[in-house]
Amino acid sequence: MTALPDIGPSRRVTRLGSDYHISFHAMATPCEVRVECDDAGLAETIGAAVESETRRIEAKFSRYRADSVVSRINASGHLGLAVDAETASLLDCARQCYLVSKGMFDITSGVLRRAWRFDGSDNLPSAQKILDLLPLMGWPKLTWKPPELKLPPGMEIDFGGLAKEYAVDRALAEAAAIAPLPMLVNFGGDLCVTGPRKGGAPWNVAIDSVEDSGKMAGLIQLKEGALATSGDARRFLLRDGVRYGHILNPRTGWPIRDAPRSVTVAAYSCVEAGISATLAMLQGRHAEAFLKREGFRAWCIR
Amino acid sequence: MQLKKRRGTVRKSLARISAGLLAASLPPVAGQAAAQSYYDDAYGARNDNFGPGFSYTQLDAALLVYQESGSRVSATEPTLNLTMHAADGRQLSMGAVADAVSGATPNGAVPSILPQNFVTPIRAQGSSTSVTGASGGSTIIHLPPTPGQVAAAALGRQYTVPANTLPVDKGFHDHRAALTGAWAQPLGGITEIGFGAGYSRESDYQAITANTHLSQNFNANNTTVSLALNSEFDSSFPFGGIPTPLTLMNAQWKPQTSRNKTQLGFVLGLTQVMTRAWLTQFNFAFDQQSGYQNDPYRILSVVDPVSGLPTQSLYENRPLQRQSESLYWDNKLDLGPTVTDLSLRYFTDSWGIKSVTAELAERLNLGSAFYVEPSARYYHQSAANFFHFYLPGGQALPAYASSDTRLATFSATTFGAKLGWIVSKRSEFYLKGEYYTQSGNGHPAGAIGQLKQQDLFPKTNAAIAFIGYSWDFH
Repeated sequence: MTALPDIGPSRRVTRLGSDYHISFHAMATPCEVRVECDDAGLAETIGAAVESETRRIEAKFSRYRADSVVSRINASGHLGLAVDAETASLLDCARQCYLVSKGMFDITSGVLRRAWRFDGSDNLPSAQKILDLLPLMGWPKLTWKPPELKLPPGMEIDFGGLAKEYAVDRALAEAAAIAPLPMLVNFGGDLCVTGPRKGGAPWNVAIDSVEDSGKMAGLIQLKEGALATSGDARRFLLRDGVRYGHILNPRTGWPIRDAPRSVTVAAYSCVEAGISATLAMLQGRHAEAFLKREGFRAWCIR
Repeated sequence: MQLKKRRGTVRKSLARISAGLLAASLPPVAGQAAAQSYYDDAYGARNDNFGPGFSYTQLDAALLVYQESGSRVSATEPTLNLTMHAADGRQLSMGAVADAVSGATPNGAVPSILPQNFVTPIRAQGSSTSVTGASGGSTIIHLPPTPGQVAAAALGRQYTVPANTLPVDKGFHDHRAALTGAWAQPLGGITEIGFGAGYSRESDYQAITANTHLSQNFNANNTTVSLALNSEFDSSFPFGGIPTPLTLMNAQWKPQTSRNKTQLGFVLGLTQVMTRAWLTQFNFAFDQQSGYQNDPYRILSVVDPVSGLPTQSLYENRPLQRQSESLYWDNKLDLGPTVTDLSLRYFTDSWGIKSVTAELAERLNLGSAFYVEPSARYYHQSAANFFHFYLPGGQALPAYASSDTRLATFSATTFGAKLGWIVSKRSEFYLKGEYYTQSGNGHPAGAIGQLKQQDLFPKTNAAIAFIGYSWDFH
């Protein structure tokens, strides 16, 4: 596993208190690794491993790359493509999420991007345009007979709601395999730690303010597990005073109404936290009730 | 959306799903252990449909109902198939079929301007089965004594066919049950290797089948080559015993009770992805059958060479050997809104039958939950070289003769439509209707006497309905 040659070394390593802080940009988001140690060389090795694993996952599952597995699945359509075990496990995960969420978490809903552009403008798509896209959505229309996936004409999949969180978990596991140090991996707010800091101290994680990026809306002390945030802080449309967030309901094709501005969920893994946060957002005005009933450790901002 | 579930069930499911994903992809030592232990500690081991394993089971259940026009043959056939897929590509499948067939089948004799009587054995001789009288419009008769015969055994069944009517035997009903099992798996560099076996049983027929296949993908899975070997061993033990070919139809129990047939064959297949929207497949099949292939209940008429009136009914006879070859070409085309399936087949055998089949099906999605698939099929065959509607009297008998119209020259069309309802992500319900029309030349050139005015090949129409359900589960 090596970084793609056309990217080049983009990592920056800095000393931040008792941590080494490694940062790079991947998966369209800022990525950081914090390693609590005094060995710069070891921190660099860990940073390289995290970046390499992240770029591997990005290259494999990005829908923007023609040679990714996702692009090849979408290009193969109904002729089907036999996928490798890792892709199969992501597909199975997506299938199970579809079941648990009763269709609200759906990796086929990316076709809605053809209608929706969340650029902060007031350009809403026409109702007809949305209606035309609905037949192209729905996991049950796919034929998933492991290891082969077939897509009906016009349909496509993407792992937009899974890949980044998966990369956090995988990258942290790669890092932890190098040295048993306290570490935190954070990709654009989706993060996971190996355990508490030295002496059992927690990691301090700020929840981003939704109104003014960079300000803090809360502080979470995390000793183990992961955090993920779902929200419309920067991606929305605003028309006639109504805010249309970027979380779309796959059943209607329209944004979820009355959802919290942001939901942060703590869980064992980043994948679990991310899916949970998304599913909570999909509950709209029932998000808090859902989180409470299910017993999540979560923080909502309205 | 309202998730009205018990407290925490969604959270636990999501935890399990995530643990499953990471357990499957993390390095075995660190990741799997970590995910598994957290999963166990936090939520306990609960086994439901959303577990991390990727094995699953497919269940297909269907019911077929077949009805020929004019209250001829009707059949009901429930089927059940279960396939278990393991995560590593191994699969085990089992199937069961039952059917009940009843009605009236042509006995092979020609119609006549006069009523005709036919006799067949009844299940009285040496059997505890009681005779309850008339069966399907027939009567129990006392046979004229023949030398050496025990008088008490001299019972037969007689049925009368009215004038100008195709002779059919209405006493026809049978049940069949069949079981199949198969195993397939990848093996080393071989894409798939498999074995299967089946057993089918009717009251007067038994079939045992065994097969094996190999398939190999090449060219980045764009090409698949496969070879299947099939074998079958059949036993026929007709009601009333095995009649002596080309002898007079009678009600006596025949001394020989069963005959066998063996069949060996292979199918060589090539599947090729041509373009993103075109998949094509070629199959070449070869079969060699040897043994008893007669229809033991079927007769043919010997007619008066001038008047055309039937004078005798003889049991049919077919060659013991039959060798056939067929070539099949199938194309699946994705034409945008629809998916087209077009196939052609050519068949030829050593009995002189040559046939062509063309079939077209078009699938259209109706919204997200439904689809329709109209289909049309055309079939034409030439006659076997020993097919005769009847034999003229006063001539030497041929070695082989049958009046089974399935061996005649005929054409058939089938129109159908399937309506599918995708009930849920894992289940589908479908209804399918088909209408079949078979027609041949019922007024062959050179028909003798009264046969000129008879339709020797009445048109057969049949309606077929399927109802089915398929379900995938863990």
